[in-house]
Amino acid sequence: MDELDLLKKDWNKPSSNTNKVSVKDIYAMLHKKSSSIVKTLFYISIAELIFWTLITILPYFTSGDYQSKLDAILPNNYVLIGLNLFSYGVIFLFIYLLYKAYKSISVTDNVKELMKNILTTRKIIKYYVLCNMVMIFISTIAGLFYSINHDPKMANTFSHFGNDKIFIFAIIILVVIGVVLLIIWLFYKLIYGLLLKRLNRNYNELKKLEV
Amino acid sequence: MNKELEHSFVELLEKHQNIVHKVCRLYTNNYDAHNDLFQEITIQLWKAYPKFRGDAKFSTWMYRVSLNTAITLYRKSKRTINIQAFEGVEFKIKAQDYDDTEEQQLKVLYKAVHQLNDIEKALAFLYLEDKNYSEISENLGISEVNARVKMNRIKKKLKTILNP
Repeated sequence: MDELDLLKKDWNKPSSNTNKVSVKDIYAMLHKKSSSIVKTLFYISIAELIFWTLITILPYFTSGDYQSKLDAILPNNYVLIGLNLFSYGVIFLFIYLLYKAYKSISVTDNVKELMKNILTTRKIIKYYVLCNMVMIFISTIAGLFYSINHDPKMANTFSHFGNDKIFIFAIIILVVIGVVLLIIWLFYKLIYGLLLKRLNRNYNELKKLEV
Repeated sequence: MNKELEHSFVELLEKHQNIVHKVCRLYTNNYDAHNDLFQEITIQLWKAYPKFRGDAKFSTWMYRVSLNTAITLYRKSKRTINIQAFEGVEFKIKAQDYDDTEEQQLKVLYKAVHQLNDIEKALAFLYLEDKNYSEISENLGISEVNARVKMNRIKKKLKTILNP
């Protein structure tokens, strides 16, 4: 007889249950809050949606100067209108995808399916963040070039610059934005890495079995 | 949720609580963590209960939800972190611990099972619960052949832990 079978003999003895819980205890537990990983992920995704939406629209509402400039440009600039519509479309698309992903998470699925669905949800949040970063990167660069060409003050400053100076300036701006976005990205990697470390490990272990 | 549903759930869980305790026993190693996991499993079972249909056995349904919670959903609470940190530390059991008295042998065996990883524990648990390979593979979402192969590896691993 191997070790596990020896354990089996003891395993099913009724005496092995030491922490019996009463009906009253169970009633109390039903009203406690869950601390499951799905709940945490859900809160994170809500926070992401709010945070990135605010980042997109806040400058418009808080700075009168920016607002009036943008209002002057907007009706005539189809690229900007398109970008704006696109960014709202992205928000609604991700709300829909997240809703669908959460709906698909069921605690009565098998272990592998459940893990897969949670990881898919996490991926959707990841793509949302990534998408926002790319949009911020593009719109900052586009905004900068637009103001160099159309803002009289900026155009005046840059007219004194030689081509090489403009080139260096552009590189610096690109690097600064790039580094800021990279830091935000690493921060996300760390948060999700910590939160989903165990889940990833277990999912890989299951996947390894199927090879 | 209505009172009747709550009442029927609490009664069923009280009757079958041993299954949840066994899962907790396998995945935690102290009293506080055990109770913490028990509570989380209870919450998950309760949340899923309205969708539970009588066509499956309550106990079979419980196995799935309990294991899923222990392996996937459960986030260890702060107070259990320090103890759980030892989980990954491999320690060899000394030969003299493994003596002939059955009680002592069992103690060492439980210790050895605790050294398995989360997935291995799930397989061992279902095996100990007398589930066949088809049920084991269904619960984990792997093929029956792979469940068998993995089970044999677990048995070998336990042997190595016990006889270093």
